[in-house]
Amino acid sequence: MEAVRNAFDFSDFPRLDLWVAGGVLAFLLVFPALPHSSFAMTIMIQFLMFSLYGMGWNTIGGYAGQVDLGKAQYNGIGAYTTAVMMVRWDVPFWVSMPVGMALAVGWSFIIGYPLFRLKGHYFAIATIATSLILKDVFEVWDFVGAAKGMEIPIRKNLPDFLYLQFKQDYYYYYILLALFLVGLLYLNAFRHSRLGFQLRAIKDNEDVARSLGIDAHWCKIKAYAVATAFVAVVGSFHACYNFNIEPEDVMSLDLSILIAMMALLGGAGSLWGPIIGAAILVPLKSYLGDWLGASAGLVGLNLVIYGGIIMLIAAVQPRGVWGMVEAALARRRGDHGAA
Amino acid sequence: MALLEVTEVSKEFGGLTANQDISFCLDQGEVLGLIGPNGAGKTTLFNCIAGHFPVTRGKIVFDGRDITPLKAFDVARLGLARTFQIFQASGDLKVAENVMVGAFMRTGSRRQARGRAEAWLDFLEIAETGQYMLSELPVARQKRVALATALATEPKLLLLDEVAAGLIRAEIEGMVTLLRRIHQEKGIALLLTEHVLEMVMALSHRVIVLESGRKIAEGEPQAVVKDPEVIRAYLGDHFVKRAGEASHA
Amino acid sequence: METLLPELLRSLVSGLLMGMVFALVALGLTVIFGVMDIVNFAHGEFLMIGMYTTLVTAPFLGVDPTLTLPLAGVVGAALGLACYFGVVQFLLRGPMVAQLLGTFGLMLVLRNVALLFMGSEPRSVHKGWLVGQSWLVGPGVVLESTKLAAAVLSIVSFVAVWWLIRRTKTGMALTATSLDKEGARYVGISTERMNGLSWAIGGASVAIAGGLLVNFWPVDPNVGLLFTMIAFATVALGGFGSIRGAFLAGILIGLIVSLPTVWDAFIRFAGLGDFSIHSFKYTFVYIIYFLIMVIRPQGLFGWKQ
Repeated sequence: MEAVRNAFDFSDFPRLDLWVAGGVLAFLLVFPALPHSSFAMTIMIQFLMFSLYGMGWNTIGGYAGQVDLGKAQYNGIGAYTTAVMMVRWDVPFWVSMPVGMALAVGWSFIIGYPLFRLKGHYFAIATIATSLILKDVFEVWDFVGAAKGMEIPIRKNLPDFLYLQFKQDYYYYYILLALFLVGLLYLNAFRHSRLGFQLRAIKDNEDVARSLGIDAHWCKIKAYAVATAFVAVVGSFHACYNFNIEPEDVMSLDLSILIAMMALLGGAGSLWGPIIGAAILVPLKSYLGDWLGASAGLVGLNLVIYGGIIMLIAAVQPRGVWGMVEAALARRRGDHGAA
Repeated sequence: MALLEVTEVSKEFGGLTANQDISFCLDQGEVLGLIGPNGAGKTTLFNCIAGHFPVTRGKIVFDGRDITPLKAFDVARLGLARTFQIFQASGDLKVAENVMVGAFMRTGSRRQARGRAEAWLDFLEIAETGQYMLSELPVARQKRVALATALATEPKLLLLDEVAAGLIRAEIEGMVTLLRRIHQEKGIALLLTEHVLEMVMALSHRVIVLESGRKIAEGEPQAVVKDPEVIRAYLGDHFVKRAGEASHA
Repeated sequence: METLLPELLRSLVSGLLMGMVFALVALGLTVIFGVMDIVNFAHGEFLMIGMYTTLVTAPFLGVDPTLTLPLAGVVGAALGLACYFGVVQFLLRGPMVAQLLGTFGLMLVLRNVALLFMGSEPRSVHKGWLVGQSWLVGPGVVLESTKLAAAVLSIVSFVAVWWLIRRTKTGMALTATSLDKEGARYVGISTERMNGLSWAIGGASVAIAGGLLVNFWPVDPNVGLLFTMIAFATVALGGFGSIRGAFLAGILIGLIVSLPTVWDAFIRFAGLGDFSIHSFKYTFVYIIYFLIMVIRPQGLFGWKQ
């Protein structure tokens, strides 16, 4: 199985990267055992969720270079599938999650086929439009609770692993961490795969890619489906973790853009990018919100700062934080002369 | 047997005719030169053959199959590869990875793709460039990488769009040697357009001349450059001298 | 028939008027897009700031809200210039992603600055020459003065911008810049200044639209997004960069938005129950945008690819 070998093949990274990654992994594994506030735990869970969102987005937005700003609709499909199946038919998470994923991926093919005829900002805005259409539908659809959304009833015997309900957050944390590691390994295999290479060629130059036998339209649709699967799984998880979902919350434009931000801020098209992005953005957003919003009563200032940081990064280093790190490392090595 | 048969192909953009009723054949293992002044429609013809543009009229048969309605990626999969006049890869792919993308057309395995990419880089005498970014290489090497990428798709016919443009004389000689090896050792047919006529003259079995979208001459290189119509229409008086020098060299 | 016909007429009239307002909102976006190929996510926030400008300055200066429109225009133009020279010109050096993100960041900043100063509750103008005035022009057809004024201003603005671009030297320079940046630079046109100018015109026109809109549409810091999307749809429908197209497309969108009212009237009239599609009013706008982009990417009147 070459795919499995590829998943564990990190040999193209410099040793320093791997040491850092190993250190981070060790920290993630022991984090719940360290003394921490419940707020910190919430942030860590958010960090893992947004890493996964960003890792998914990275396949279409990073590797293939298609700026997709409509991922929230698939988060909604995942979340609602799990919620509806749990509330109405008492189906466990581990069944509803793959179903939600399949529904989301199916929908992504339907949307993706016409969507990928578009390029550049036309594509980006159209992705926003598709997501808003679905959100509008969910907001009036009684079967899914319309605008007030759905609430998952709390089960009697906790912890419940089948329905993903726990009193203590660290259960959620470890389940999410497992998903995170699976996702990371999958993406490592993905970037080594034929599709991964073809997407990067498409991002470089579509005409050249076509001349190399690459069906650019179909490749983008496939990458879009992979991204969708990631987002839908996190959506399902979100439904169980939050108990309560509503369209404004799980399908908003802000979420779509936040998902894209993770990878873009960290460095689109690199394996670590979305994780770095989530590690910066999630705590930043939460702590800013906590300090300035709740404590100081300055609601809005946190988002002003947050927006300012986004602007600054877009203007100064469009390749993201990882781009800055790589550029700095390359300068230090000083071996950028051509052969 | 004809590998590529182009029959009365025309291409119009709006009201503008870029190619008009062009017909020619290319045999298995042949090297065919396509020359003509700027704006004669060479690149348009390439784009039509390779499936990047749909033709307005006419028919293109490759390896016994009608490829006229096919898209570029399908044409490529049938074994018709091409290089581009401007090959700019700005993105994240290293040289070896670029070539692997070509190799991935025939295999799904990364190990095999890498092996083939290395073999092609080796064949083109640029094995040491594999870990660099394309933009870090000088132009002559970039051209070879483009060549390696196209060759990695294992084509039967390779369309070369100005591979010698921007090269100095010594590099052009290297390129000629290389193309001759590709043709002789790998048995790949070549169709090349070139401003650098020495190269076309040195390599081609036959030459086709385009002018204002029409074919005005076809034949052996030495005969074609002596064709008065070709000289008048395209080469200009000053070239008569240079063509003479080239044939003495 | 007594109820259906007036309902239809009323929807038609209100659709037409709203359409002209939408067109005015989209005018600035299409000017900016035409000149420099950039999508401004913060466009609706410019509108929101125009709305607040009128809302705050009218009672402060003790004048009618209508008279503060020039002020809204000045604020919008200044904001456009500040955004262009402060942020956008740096974004242009980067890839498309940088532009999307940068203007999104701008949107967050503007929206939340408004939140900080104005609070989150919706506010509206209660006094003014236009507020509450309306005329009965037909059986059941009411012409509100606010909307009529906005529509008239929309026409005036379109003519003015069209004149500016087609008939003045500056306009020629703008057009040249949009057609060929390099070429414009060769003949001595400063593309920087032209870009800045397009942001000034864009900001001014949308802020004036806001100043009028606030007479009949409550303002809150989040009001921008809906109008940004409508403006995108309008500009896409009309063809990116086409001024005439934006006007016609705006009207078309106004009519589309009023369709659900017609539908509701129809099913009430035909006794088909109460399946209302009213909440899908704006969904149709998104659907139209999506369909137009897929089927006819150059828009109905566009020339830019």
